[in-house]
Amino acid sequence: MSVTAFLTDSTLCIGCKACEVACKEWNGVGEDGLDWSGFSYDNTGSVGASTWRHVKFVEQTPEPGFGGNAPEMNSWAFSSDVCKHCENAGCLEACPTGSIVRTEFGGVYVQPDICNGCGYCVVSCPFGVVERNEQDGRAFKCTFCYDRQKVGLVPACAKACPTESIQFGEIGALRRKAEERLAELRGRGMRDATVYDPVDTSVGGSHAMFIVRGDPRTYNLPPKPEVPTIYLKKAWASSAIAAALLLGGTLVAFLADGQRNGR
Amino acid sequence: MSDAKARVVPVGRVPDSSAEQRLLEIRHEAERRGEVKAIGIRPSGAPFPQASPETGYYGIPLLKQPSWTWEVPLYFFTGGAAGAAAVMGAIADYTGADRKLVRDARWIAAAGAVISPALLVADLGRPARFLNMLRVFKPQSPMSVGVWTLLGFSGAAAATAFAGFLAERYGPSLPLRIVENAGQAASLAFGLPFSNYTGVLIGATTIPVWNQNVGELPIHFAASGVGAAVGLLELMGNDRSRALQALGMGAALFECLEGLRSESSDHSHLDPLKHGLSGLMVRTGGVLSGPVPFLLRAASLFGDKQRSHEFRRWAAMASVAGSLVTRFAWVQAGHASARQWREPLGIAQGEKPELGE
Amino acid sequence: MAENHPVGFQWVIAARERGAKIIHVDPRFNRTSAMADIWVPLRAGSDIIFLGALIHYVLENKKEFRDYVVNYTNASTILRDDFRDTEDLDGLFSGWDADKKKYDPETWLYKGAPSKDSGGEKAGHSDAGGGHGKDRGGEAEDAGKFEADPTLEHPRCVFQVLKRHFSRYTPQMVERYCGVSKEVFLKTAEAFTSASGPEKTAAICYAVGWTQHSKGVQIIRAAAILQLLLGNIGRPGGGILALRGHASIQGSTDIPTLYDILPGYLPMPVFEADSHNLKDYIKKHKARTGLWANFDKYFISLLKAYYGEAANAENEFGFNWLPRVTGDHSHFGYWLEMAEGKMEGLFVMGQNPAVGAPNGRLERKALAKLKWLVVRDMVETETASFWYDSPETERGELSPDDLATEVFLFPAAGTAEKDGTFTNTQRLLQYRNQAVEPPGDARSETWFMYHLGRRLKEKAKNDTRPRNGGLNALTWNYSTRVEHAEPDVEEVLQEINGRSLPDGKLLEGFKALKNDGSTTCGCWIYSGVFPRPGENKANKREPKGYLGHGWGFAWPNDCRIIYNRASARPDGKPWSERKKLVWWDVEKKHWTGLDTPDFEKTTPPDAKENIHRGRGVEALGGAKPFILHPDGVGWLFVASGLKDGPLPTHYEALESPVSNPLYAQQTDPAADKKERPGNEYAASPADPRFPYVLTTYRLTEHHTAGGMSRTLSHLAELQPELFTEVSPELAAEAGLEHGDWATITTPRGIVEARVMVTRRMRAMWVDGRRIHHVGLPYHWGYRGLVTGDIANDLLSISEEPNVRIMEAKALVCNLTPGRRACGAAALTQLAANMKRTSVSTK
Repeated sequence: MSVTAFLTDSTLCIGCKACEVACKEWNGVGEDGLDWSGFSYDNTGSVGASTWRHVKFVEQTPEPGFGGNAPEMNSWAFSSDVCKHCENAGCLEACPTGSIVRTEFGGVYVQPDICNGCGYCVVSCPFGVVERNEQDGRAFKCTFCYDRQKVGLVPACAKACPTESIQFGEIGALRRKAEERLAELRGRGMRDATVYDPVDTSVGGSHAMFIVRGDPRTYNLPPKPEVPTIYLKKAWASSAIAAALLLGGTLVAFLADGQRNGR
Repeated sequence: MSDAKARVVPVGRVPDSSAEQRLLEIRHEAERRGEVKAIGIRPSGAPFPQASPETGYYGIPLLKQPSWTWEVPLYFFTGGAAGAAAVMGAIADYTGADRKLVRDARWIAAAGAVISPALLVADLGRPARFLNMLRVFKPQSPMSVGVWTLLGFSGAAAATAFAGFLAERYGPSLPLRIVENAGQAASLAFGLPFSNYTGVLIGATTIPVWNQNVGELPIHFAASGVGAAVGLLELMGNDRSRALQALGMGAALFECLEGLRSESSDHSHLDPLKHGLSGLMVRTGGVLSGPVPFLLRAASLFGDKQRSHEFRRWAAMASVAGSLVTRFAWVQAGHASARQWREPLGIAQGEKPELGE
Repeated sequence: MAENHPVGFQWVIAARERGAKIIHVDPRFNRTSAMADIWVPLRAGSDIIFLGALIHYVLENKKEFRDYVVNYTNASTILRDDFRDTEDLDGLFSGWDADKKKYDPETWLYKGAPSKDSGGEKAGHSDAGGGHGKDRGGEAEDAGKFEADPTLEHPRCVFQVLKRHFSRYTPQMVERYCGVSKEVFLKTAEAFTSASGPEKTAAICYAVGWTQHSKGVQIIRAAAILQLLLGNIGRPGGGILALRGHASIQGSTDIPTLYDILPGYLPMPVFEADSHNLKDYIKKHKARTGLWANFDKYFISLLKAYYGEAANAENEFGFNWLPRVTGDHSHFGYWLEMAEGKMEGLFVMGQNPAVGAPNGRLERKALAKLKWLVVRDMVETETASFWYDSPETERGELSPDDLATEVFLFPAAGTAEKDGTFTNTQRLLQYRNQAVEPPGDARSETWFMYHLGRRLKEKAKNDTRPRNGGLNALTWNYSTRVEHAEPDVEEVLQEINGRSLPDGKLLEGFKALKNDGSTTCGCWIYSGVFPRPGENKANKREPKGYLGHGWGFAWPNDCRIIYNRASARPDGKPWSERKKLVWWDVEKKHWTGLDTPDFEKTTPPDAKENIHRGRGVEALGGAKPFILHPDGVGWLFVASGLKDGPLPTHYEALESPVSNPLYAQQTDPAADKKERPGNEYAASPADPRFPYVLTTYRLTEHHTAGGMSRTLSHLAELQPELFTEVSPELAAEAGLEHGDWATITTPRGIVEARVMVTRRMRAMWVDGRRIHHVGLPYHWGYRGLVTGDIANDLLSISEEPNVRIMEAKALVCNLTPGRRACGAAALTQLAANMKRTSVSTK
């Protein structure tokens, strides 16, 4: 049972959204709004409770004579977003029911029979992935196709992706592959190619790595995502101080008052 | 038989390359900055949404909004007041303060002990599954810690108040006294964290305005809780207690300092505390919790009894109202902060245009 | 291709990752452009200038694959002295009859081919005959005693004529009239030609962006010429891939749903052009040389499949039971008659013309003239609901109370709910196995047609009038399953494969077909798909080797690349080791290789040819790969078979903002505008009322008319609204705001769409003027989870001369900000736009 991951290589993505649809079909995820956004061909907006795979569309100015694969410019890029299944997952740490667990495949999984919809995971995800479904009440996100992996199948999105932009496999192998691919792209002249895997933050790396062209912020990939447990130390210290002040203050107030009354 | 050859006549004016160039520049500027500085220029068709390191991904916020509804900020209020009240009641009891004060404090704590869990359960997406929170105890999850703390506090506060009530009704007895005393001690022990842990709860999240104030929030919430508890006790008739006056002034002072702190800093992540609806709420709550009760309480130290009594009552109402508004304000600020798409991406705000905001 | 064939596009990406260069030519930068190395934004409708310039480039710079061209094309063939090219007649070829509005292709024949004068077969274009079949309305089957000059120097040889024909298609012309700079053009030309030759091949992939023009066939012809000159046909990694409009459209021409052909591209007999007897029909269509010399074997086997025992030599195998073509029975042909009230009933199965056909308003109003309409589909499409839900009912043009059309809606089974095959782009038959039973009363097409036929036969059984002869004779015995009485589709496939009589043994291929009634075959090109009981090759999923043999069945004979003899030199050795495909095994004395040879297996490469007097495929010898052609070579010049010329010529679209820069002849002279009230045209060129070029296209997220995608939330939410794509310059000029609404009008219709301002659309400079394109996907209609205006309401009904396809890719429109008026006011708005300014031309 190896620890698995996604490597989503946006230079191979054709923006077909098969991943979005395959995920919904397999997991029975419902409709996510029928509104036209005007944001290029992205009418989904972001991952959430009703979309677990989301293709982003980033347009620049194309020049005649240059296609999107030309190293000189990055005209129209597509990148399929997903839950990052963080090494240190904010949602997992925050979940008070123990519903969110790490599976044997290394993915972060919300057990739908336990989740009671407290919503704390929602504000604990630095990538804005997990969301509470208001009709259903529970929190939902990419399950890493835990049910498929358990029987030896590949996640639905990776299976459906026609160009193998979404690659799935053992995490070490994919990390190496990402580096090799990056070297290859740079070798072709694509100096703006980069691998997004936040290993140097408190998140500690993710099980969903991305190869994109250009600044990752263009794709709403945060440069310094942090798992909110890093704030705990300061928070509880402040809490202790507050408690001490409350106790001390109350004692002083009542004792002084008592003394004044001569009791 | 063949179509007549029509002369092609250029439509419109002959292209002027310098005007074309200028138009191109204006368009590019509009796309980059989302606005055009030159007055009177409004090229149709631009700007249109852009994804870039300057504009993020079309300015779509990365973070999700908190999914909590009104029950949660209300719970912050009831919990804070109840916790502080329990502490005050216990200390008051130990230091031999007025019995009524002790009793009232216990009832505030007990009321909070009953209302708070109900509010939390009501906010859950699946309320019937609230017991699932008791499957685990996760010290790294402030909500898990909070749930157990709430459990302990609720049990203790309810037991204390009830035992006390029975003792007064039907006369003291050893079992009741044990329950009452143990309960009170437990209320004090649980009440101390319970009155401020909600600051930890929202501080240890990804919402920038919350986690950037994580060092202040527990203290701020504790002070707010004290203010509310003091106010409630005074409104219940304990408005001559000098201890309460002192605690009230202390809480109000903390609130003033907190307000000064956030107003004096210019960091963008603090914007929700100053701008928009959340800013209005924070400032209103801050004023009602800080300077207003502080000045009223100070004023009530002087002057005649009647006036002094009035001022104290107003101070009490202000503190309670302020505490309530402050809780809602901070949750609202969390919503506004989640919508600040620049924060998680670390994109600095562009230059402000010269003509207003 | 990435937009509309995303799964197939994975192979393009795989090739790209191994170093192949991708060039994408399209007015708009779409998802294919985003994966390409070179993007060429081209003015919609100017494709022949561009392709012609590429041909010119090859010829000027001597980049043709000389040996291939000399040996495998008709470059050396000498033409008649009385042939006149478009260079001589300012855009027309010799033989144009202005009154009849058609060509007499007599002067296009090879010098020495049997002509009218020598008493040969009359090469002519039948009015009624379509262009899909082998006949193509009058193909000269006999190449005759033509002459050739292998040095390609003779002034009247095809090569020189070709050179002269394209002499003015220069990079300068491309820059001035296609909107493509010389630099980009030369970059493209360099990349494409340097990837061709003995060691390398280049492929061209196209779809409706080339076919849906009033000169669509000629555009593809230009690509064919280019690929023949570069030696890319019949070779691995080369060729021309017609990606087609949706799944199994290839199958729908193989086993045709087209009026003018029978299975295997045999011509449907025409009432006046073919006589009433089998002998004359065969005489007209059977070629002397090449594979079509077996025409009668294919045809009679087909008749035997249709009529079984009732067909025999005495009754001409039932030839006179076949219907006859008496006019234009294509979609537009009969639909316009329907609009005049001349049709009683119509079956519409798995099609949605109310949304998918051009001039939607006319199409929908025509439906109201029917007495009865049967719609079979998985959802209630716009065609089924036109009578109460269409824009016409909203605008008061139709009223449900007054309509006399009775509409029957039958639920249809979906792909996974029935057995059957798809035949897609690469001629591959793939069998699908039913996965679940269809719900409720939904049934497959096979079930419907079988039981409809069965009931009709029942009714006709005791009615012996001659008109029922065919119906009574029709073989119609298929086993059916107990549940739903679903016919066995494999039996149908076996019937298509063919059997010998009387033993009923399955045939191994079309070579076994006979003309004496001892074989049956439903479609000769498919023969071999089911060679033995239990061996359904279309259902095999065990791919092996370079070309995946063992996965499905490619016709003919499971050749994955047709004309693959051309991958070897005349002497039988491959052109290069790197690009070897099929070659002659000297020891074993047969053709072998990585593909099934599309050639007579045991004919050696040095077998002598005898085209001038020989018969059959043998007459072509051992070194002529194009075995369907009577002269065995690829045709740079098509002597007969096409109605609008032997060589591709640039004509402007029927509606264009630009004058034809090359000739006085503005548009394709043989194209039929079907101009009439309700199908009006803009003045051309440059009607000031309609200054912008409109081009329609598709998106990945939706499927054609949207019946299967706008009704599914998972797809509907991906592209929920109709939007038009415009450049920032056009938005500025027209006053449009991104995200707001725009109203688009043409002489036919009025449509509103959301505005998407994007730099992927470019303002182009054409002849010193700025030309704007307005882009519009066409997937929306008035039913489903997401609805929108019907883009096809804007198009006109017109017919390309050979295959009668409409022009959807280049027309003109007007664009104004804001939503269109609702109800009858929309028509007022449309009329007002027509009157806007006076017409300037003519």
